[in-house]
Amino acid sequence: MILEMKNISKRFDKLHVLKDISFGVDSGEVVSIIGPSGSGKSTLLRCATFLETIDGGEIIYMGKKAAHTDADGNAVYVSPKEMREFRTYCGLVFQQFNLFPHYSILKNLTDAPIHVQHRSREEAEMTAMELLGKMGIADKAKAYPFQLSGGQQQRVAIARALAMKPEILFFDEPTSALDPELTGEVLKVIRQLAEEKMTMVVVTHEMPFAKAVSNRVLFMDGGVVVEQGSPEEVFDNPKEERTKQFLRVFER
Amino acid sequence: MSLSTMISTMSVGMLRTCGIFALTLLGALPLGMLVALLRKSRYAVVRGVTRGYISIIRGTPLMLQLLVWYFGPYYLFRIPIRGWRFPALILGFVLNYAAYFAEIYRSGIESIPVGQYEAAEVLGYTKTQTFMRIILPQVIKRITPTVTNEVITLVKDTSLAFTLAYQEVFSLSKQISASQTSFTPFVIAGVFYFVANYLVEFVMLRIEKALDYYK
Repeated sequence: MILEMKNISKRFDKLHVLKDISFGVDSGEVVSIIGPSGSGKSTLLRCATFLETIDGGEIIYMGKKAAHTDADGNAVYVSPKEMREFRTYCGLVFQQFNLFPHYSILKNLTDAPIHVQHRSREEAEMTAMELLGKMGIADKAKAYPFQLSGGQQQRVAIARALAMKPEILFFDEPTSALDPELTGEVLKVIRQLAEEKMTMVVVTHEMPFAKAVSNRVLFMDGGVVVEQGSPEEVFDNPKEERTKQFLRVFER
Repeated sequence: MSLSTMISTMSVGMLRTCGIFALTLLGALPLGMLVALLRKSRYAVVRGVTRGYISIIRGTPLMLQLLVWYFGPYYLFRIPIRGWRFPALILGFVLNYAAYFAEIYRSGIESIPVGQYEAAEVLGYTKTQTFMRIILPQVIKRITPTVTNEVITLVKDTSLAFTLAYQEVFSLSKQISASQTSFTPFVIAGVFYFVANYLVEFVMLRIEKALDYYK
């Protein structure tokens, strides 16, 4: 198991966003998380990538505990120093790309490897160029984010996350900020990564994509995992009434 | 007194004006950043004190502040300090401008989208790295036009040094005008301030251009 999240609970003041959620991701697995807005999908991702802290439960990466619940029922994280190691395990691709506008595309990909992971500039640049090639934007290395289309920017963001060599890559609605025309090029790249057995968790509203690319699908609503299983199980034979109701909207 | 004598007499004042200007920027630009960061401290006491400082500085005339710094030590503690005039002047200017710069920095820092912080956090940058490598460069670009405004105001505000009878270009122009019953010193002072600000505009515009490579 690359990642295990056990009994995750998260509140924003009175709002219980995640209620006792458990799921795991195996190496090479692609997990899609679907569900209506406000169901807690993004929060779950943000908890897994440590952008949000959980209130209860366990987060385990590579068999090592990053957070657990103590005797009083409060979530306890490892020390900030140990946390740094856990951060290297996971990468996140945002809905809004969040590229660094003052850095060239190449520097967006090399800055963290050089200054956070202390890898050599030569190696970091080689890795970066390789990744840009794979994303089909090697010619944009010297350009700045504002000169790229949304689809290209998102591919840079994927490359930037991959440049850190994470064990697992999370996507938070990676195509929701894109024109329908540009969605395809980003999904194609994710599909390609899936074929290469990159471990990924994708929060998405692209149902055909989720069905085609994932090994497992989680349907979330109201802060709980309502149903999970293979894409065939969840999409073609949903057991829960809530899942059926949600999927019907997409068939129209 | 011939024009050239006037100009050469006043050139000492011009140098002093430039001195106030340069020392104020040198002190206030970094101090303002410190104040801006304290203003956003996680400790309520620190935030409160910083806010109070900014409030008082912005809420009272710079001229009055200069007088307070100059006469304060004597009236409060009865200690005359020799050669206190110039240090008091610079102290007054630096503390005043730092407060204004702090608010400019703060507005710049707060205008950076939260996604930039999150992207940096996920990539493992430390807090300091995030600020120095990701946030600050973008802040500098965003605040340059506002800083230009403030720097131009500073050029003109240096004339307030006359309150402490410091003989910079404005004080000298008044003196020479009175003693020579001539209008010319005012014209010279006016031209001096204008040229100085023209230079400021020119330099700041170059900086803006240099930062124009990204949006």
